[in-house]
Amino acid sequence: MRKYVLLRGFYSLVTLWLLVTIIFAMVRLTGDPVAMKGEIGADATYLERIKHDWGLDQPVYWQYTGFIGNLLKGDFGHSFEKSLPVRDIYFERLPNSLKLGFAAFVISLALGVPFGMLSALKVNTWWDNAGKMIALLGLSMPGFFVGLVLIIIFGVQLGWLPVLGKGSSAFVWSNPATWAPFWFRDWPHLAMPAFALGWYFSGAMLRITRSGMLDVLGSDYIKLVRLKGVPERMVVAKHALKNSLIPVLTFAGLNLLIMVNVAVVIEVIFNWPGVGQLLYDGLSNRDFPMVQGVVLMSGLMIVMLNFVIDVLYGYVDPRIRLSR
Amino acid sequence: MATILGRATEIGGVSRAARRSYSWVREIPLVPLLLVTVLVLAAVLAPVLAPHSHLDPVKPTPGQCQAKYGMADCPYVDNMPPFWFSQGTFATPLGTDYLGRDLLSRLMYGARISLVVALTGTLFAGAIGTLLGVLAGYMGKWWDQIIMRVTDAWLTLPSLVFAILLSSVRGPGVWNIVLILALVFWSRYSRAVRGEVLALREREFVRLAEINGVGKLKIIRRHLIPNVMNTVMVLFSLQVGVAVIIEASLSFLGVGVPPPEPSWGLMMAQERESLMQGKWWLAVFPGICITMLVLSANMLGDWLRVRLDPQLRNR
Amino acid sequence: MTRRTGIKELLALIAALALVAAAGEAAAQKGGQTPILSGPLVKLDIKEAQIETAKGKPKGTFRIAQHFALDPGWLDPLEHIFALTMQTYDYLVHDALIKPMPQGEATYSLAEHAELAADFRRAAFRLRPGLKFHDGQPLSTADVKWTYENYKGAHAKLFRDKLEHIQIVDDRTIVFHFKEPFLEFMDLYNGAVSGIGWIVPKHYYEKVGRDGFKAKPIGAGPYKFVSQQAGVQMDFEAWEEYWRRTPAAKTIVVKGIRDNAARLAGLQTGELDLAFGMTGKVLPQVMADKNLRWVPNFTSVWHLAFPGYNEPDSPFHDKRVRQAVSLAINREFLVRQETQGVGKVWGNWISPENRDALKGDGKDLPLPEHNIAKAKQVLAQTKFPNGFEFEWFVPFVPYFDMGERILTDLRAVGIRGKLQSLEGPAFRAKMGQGRKGFPGNRTIVQNIDPRPGGAKATIGVYAVCGSPASIVCEPQIEELWTKHEASKNLDERDRLNKAIQKILVEEYYMVPIYWNPFVHAIGPRVLPEGKGIERYYDTLHAPYPWPWEVWEVRADR
Repeated sequence: MRKYVLLRGFYSLVTLWLLVTIIFAMVRLTGDPVAMKGEIGADATYLERIKHDWGLDQPVYWQYTGFIGNLLKGDFGHSFEKSLPVRDIYFERLPNSLKLGFAAFVISLALGVPFGMLSALKVNTWWDNAGKMIALLGLSMPGFFVGLVLIIIFGVQLGWLPVLGKGSSAFVWSNPATWAPFWFRDWPHLAMPAFALGWYFSGAMLRITRSGMLDVLGSDYIKLVRLKGVPERMVVAKHALKNSLIPVLTFAGLNLLIMVNVAVVIEVIFNWPGVGQLLYDGLSNRDFPMVQGVVLMSGLMIVMLNFVIDVLYGYVDPRIRLSR
Repeated sequence: MATILGRATEIGGVSRAARRSYSWVREIPLVPLLLVTVLVLAAVLAPVLAPHSHLDPVKPTPGQCQAKYGMADCPYVDNMPPFWFSQGTFATPLGTDYLGRDLLSRLMYGARISLVVALTGTLFAGAIGTLLGVLAGYMGKWWDQIIMRVTDAWLTLPSLVFAILLSSVRGPGVWNIVLILALVFWSRYSRAVRGEVLALREREFVRLAEINGVGKLKIIRRHLIPNVMNTVMVLFSLQVGVAVIIEASLSFLGVGVPPPEPSWGLMMAQERESLMQGKWWLAVFPGICITMLVLSANMLGDWLRVRLDPQLRNR
Repeated sequence: MTRRTGIKELLALIAALALVAAAGEAAAQKGGQTPILSGPLVKLDIKEAQIETAKGKPKGTFRIAQHFALDPGWLDPLEHIFALTMQTYDYLVHDALIKPMPQGEATYSLAEHAELAADFRRAAFRLRPGLKFHDGQPLSTADVKWTYENYKGAHAKLFRDKLEHIQIVDDRTIVFHFKEPFLEFMDLYNGAVSGIGWIVPKHYYEKVGRDGFKAKPIGAGPYKFVSQQAGVQMDFEAWEEYWRRTPAAKTIVVKGIRDNAARLAGLQTGELDLAFGMTGKVLPQVMADKNLRWVPNFTSVWHLAFPGYNEPDSPFHDKRVRQAVSLAINREFLVRQETQGVGKVWGNWISPENRDALKGDGKDLPLPEHNIAKAKQVLAQTKFPNGFEFEWFVPFVPYFDMGERILTDLRAVGIRGKLQSLEGPAFRAKMGQGRKGFPGNRTIVQNIDPRPGGAKATIGVYAVCGSPASIVCEPQIEELWTKHEASKNLDERDRLNKAIQKILVEEYYMVPIYWNPFVHAIGPRVLPEGKGIERYYDTLHAPYPWPWEVWEVRADR
């Protein structure tokens, strides 16, 4: 077991290192950020100074080793465009993304799990088909389309919901008084983006719940429980649900990370000041440290989650830990 | 001998009984098939069927110019509503956009872009991913380690973000998006294919072929690739929808297909402001087209998955 | 609203006056100010500040939407480049010795008196008495000196190279000594052109450092910085002790909102009070909305350029092809569609706000013609009788709709291309590299440049071979330009400058389109109600309505 955990840990590190390297190389192919900071007709000395400030006058391998060294110290560098440390900006934005991500997560669970269970219990009935349809529609409508339709109906035509940003409440790390109220205010601002984002993921949720339920319902264990004469309602509520929720939750965890870190299109449409918008701004401004930082943070979270899942599965199922 | 047996049982994954009776034909879901057929026909026959040019404005009548601008002559009339509105005409059944171009014609040409980009992009991704997956699974050792670690890293990169990043390297353009889709999505295949190959490697027909001294390349070509095709096809059908959405999203964000070509995502981005003015049809029709295409691709993909994966037959 | 003079023209003016001064005229002193410098002085045209005390308590929240993402770097004048957006934020938090105000392009602010020696080797300022920073610390000449010495932004090298030493006479009096005549000093030191004139608190900057200052700046301007979410929002609060007047609005909130439709929606729902850049598809809605008001705010002239045109294998090498491009554009209709008829078709590519620009309304240069038949006829004589396919049409960001309109006009004569919709910084970067920014020689650029400094400055950036951003490089123009740069005769310089402008337009190196209104839309909470908001737009040469302390809004409920 120890060897297995160590091996998985090592693999995770290798994955992260590869990710760091890919993203480092990739952003450097997108163009020269110095030219973007300067004005048309800017004097050369000014551009030289920026280049020096950003460390772009050094050879690439030197930039790379410096970058890795700083990463190990937890320093993501300075944003080119926003002139502040990437870490500060990222953590300033993170609560906004978490708020949106959690809300979308709840919506995706609320839509996905009950419908998934229903359609598993009533295979090939009206319920099953309706559930599948909702799931498929969610998966098939691009986020920006859902967003635009919501905006026009609830924002413009009915005027019920605000269309701009996240509202006035902000999460300020240095001010603990803002920590709690932040999560409970400005829900009207949250409603549309969270729904647009959550619906998309509810489709996948529904599928997983449905197939997980079917797996469990078809298992010998449940057959045995039924044979013992446990009422069907209890079978579902106590035994089947409990067992089928494990894959649902692991998958949901991954979804949550994705929603928090890379809800680019939804955040752009709704002007939601989250991490996804930060990433998009960074990409369009060739803000290398920003892009690197955000992608790495999301990669780090995903790799860590995968590692935890791998280890847990290894505990539960010895076959896995021996096969790899 | 073993080879023949192995292939015969594996191809298509459809049971022999089902194949003989052709009952599976009747099980193809009709609605998505119909939708896809309509869209493909619209795309292929766009030059014949489209009532107007998709790039040039529709030449207005003097009456229309007078009504809209109070001018005797004008180059185009913008934002004509669809035919069921009082100012609409059947000449431009779904109305015109802000440059007086016929929306229906643009949607038809838009289908071309979406289909070509999504299909070729996914195809290339499938080819790269399958090849790497087979190599990793069959060659094992360092091949496996290197390919799978890169695959893992690739999978942690969120697809849309990666696509945006690549598009700022390559610049806009239809074929650049195809390339981007291939580069982004190959890792989805290599993971699944590798798992499949690991199992196949232990199967008798592969073992026998190895014992008989069949070369590695030949084994890959003759035994492994044909047998992972089911998985690849299922993945392919599910990825096409995602590829359509990625293309639309890239174009929506302005880093995809360059105007004036009518990509659906781009049309939606351009008409966002009209949406606010109550001219909903300009952005909603392209949205519906995207949804139709992706929905039917997903439904067909689901069906295919059930067909090709015997374990799922009864779900 | 309309802005009349260019900054560099002031220079010309000053230079002219300098000659007068050198001829023996004594120092120009205003209002009983005791002179600081000895010897002959230049007569400076700096307007007196209008001090309005007792304006009542600040009230209400004023919410402004910038049309792109915000940058905390804008809050640090020490690192400013020439970018008018940065000045917008300087006007909130900081204050300059001299800056553009409604009174004039150079108006006394922190300084109450300035002198420039006739030999241009010394400049002196006297600060107002009793100046303070937001934290209550006094603003003294030590801060002015420190700001100068630590400035890193645009023209920093010039300022450093020219300086011999800075002499602090007392807390309020400072003298700059230059190694050699520094003719442009007073213009460049003006708050409109560089960041060096905006005074940064030495004690605070040294304490918190570069990052700390950008995260939470303090200054001597009318508004105190409260908080920001990098890129998204900045909050400011009125500083009632501001020397000129009590700011009118209690709170100013600035948001970065890229999407036109979102800014409009914000105005309509009352989430915003002022939004920039409201042309194109949203303009009819702004005009139709009875709650909203709008200001045309003319900036500069749209024009097309052809990077790489002078290479023989470029289709745009042939003057007649460029002429056909110009003839194919239906400018009247474009103005109508894009600006609801507010814009003005114009025959010069340089903004008429520059005093030395040729007028493009038929006075100096003819109004450009729209004639498809003639365009086809002209094209028929070239290598491309039926038109051709070029590569990219690259519009100034985010005017993609306008670009596609022009692209569609060109299709009518068979000139076909694709539109490249870049992001703002990428476009700037390409333009900054001039011809090299656009690989191949089959590209059309749709540009606009509201650059201060007169037509001369704009020509010097785009139409001279030596400029890094050069797009036009012609021996004929080079010759005139060299003469222009060498000449000390103002009349001759003006003649040469105008000759170059004429060539650029007549040879179709630059194809002017129309004079652009950079429309601002204003919500109902801004006072006065109804008409009268134009008064906020009196500052010269400003794409944004400075200063901010005069903007009045209704009190919050």
